[in-house]
Amino acid sequence: MNSFQSKTALTVLLCLTLGAAIFRAQTASNRDADKAAIKQLVANFADTWNSHDAHGLAMHYVEDGDFSSVKAEPSHGRKELEEHYMTIFTTFLKNAHTTDTVRTIRFLAPDLANVDIDWLVTDPAAPGGVLRKGLLTWVVTKRNGEWKIVVYHEQAF
Amino acid sequence: MISTRVKIALAVLMFFSISAALSWAQMASNMDADSAAIKQCVAAWEDAWNRHDAHATAMAYVEDGDFSSTTGVPSHGWKELEVHYNEIFTTFLKDAHRTDTVRGIRFLGPGIASVDIDWQMTGAKTRDGQDAPNRKGLLTWIVTKNNGQWRITIYHESVF
Repeated sequence: MNSFQSKTALTVLLCLTLGAAIFRAQTASNRDADKAAIKQLVANFADTWNSHDAHGLAMHYVEDGDFSSVKAEPSHGRKELEEHYMTIFTTFLKNAHTTDTVRTIRFLAPDLANVDIDWLVTDPAAPGGVLRKGLLTWVVTKRNGEWKIVVYHEQAF
Repeated sequence: MISTRVKIALAVLMFFSISAALSWAQMASNMDADSAAIKQCVAAWEDAWNRHDAHATAMAYVEDGDFSSTTGVPSHGWKELEVHYNEIFTTFLKDAHRTDTVRGIRFLGPGIASVDIDWQMTGAKTRDGQDAPNRKGLLTWIVTKNNGQWRITIYHESVF
């Protein structure tokens, strides 16, 4: 290999290395931003829940989102979701307050993630003030730059 | 008389309609095949579990698979998963038998799906060795297709 070929090979190698490093840094930076945005979704969802805003909660889902209760009773799509939240907020959860803390986020694809959330529902009238605690597991997706819930499961323990 | 321009437009329209129909049929057919393969993955896992084969039960996961118990206690990766299954199969679930029935499959993207599975269990003991009541609940899995094979990436279970 002559000197010109060596220089060219080195330049190409340098460009590729630099390109890969920039790409990796960009991916990590996007992922950090997405994690922050997902945590914000969880915080917004808790605020909406604590305002007992059934319509607002349904809008945190994609249009054909799936919800499943602690007893695996399903609600599908925004209309059913809103009806479900309306029912719980006018009956057994009308004085309830939720505290949701993100435990883990696992990306399944660039715009798709699973989120585990520790969950505590309190009510002054409940024994010890705690009505329910457990784990929420959501699948969230990014649509038009905004993270939304696709599938929602909850378990109480 | 139909002009040449109209004939060309009709031919193009027909071509795209047929292509779209074929592509849709292909997607539906792939989805049916994937749904069947996912059900097979659930059946194989259930079978390994009922044989109390901790290694085979763990191998139904991807290598860095995540398990979470009914009380939210996690196990991560094949090694921890096998240790977890070995522990339950030699203690309070050593005589247990389970039945798993797929309730719903929702595809989340190419090679990724969410699966809801109704589960029931007989023969479980309490931690102090007494007979426990039969249990039932919902398993919620995220499964992914790796080298043509569906495996568990994330496993959650609830009891009610």
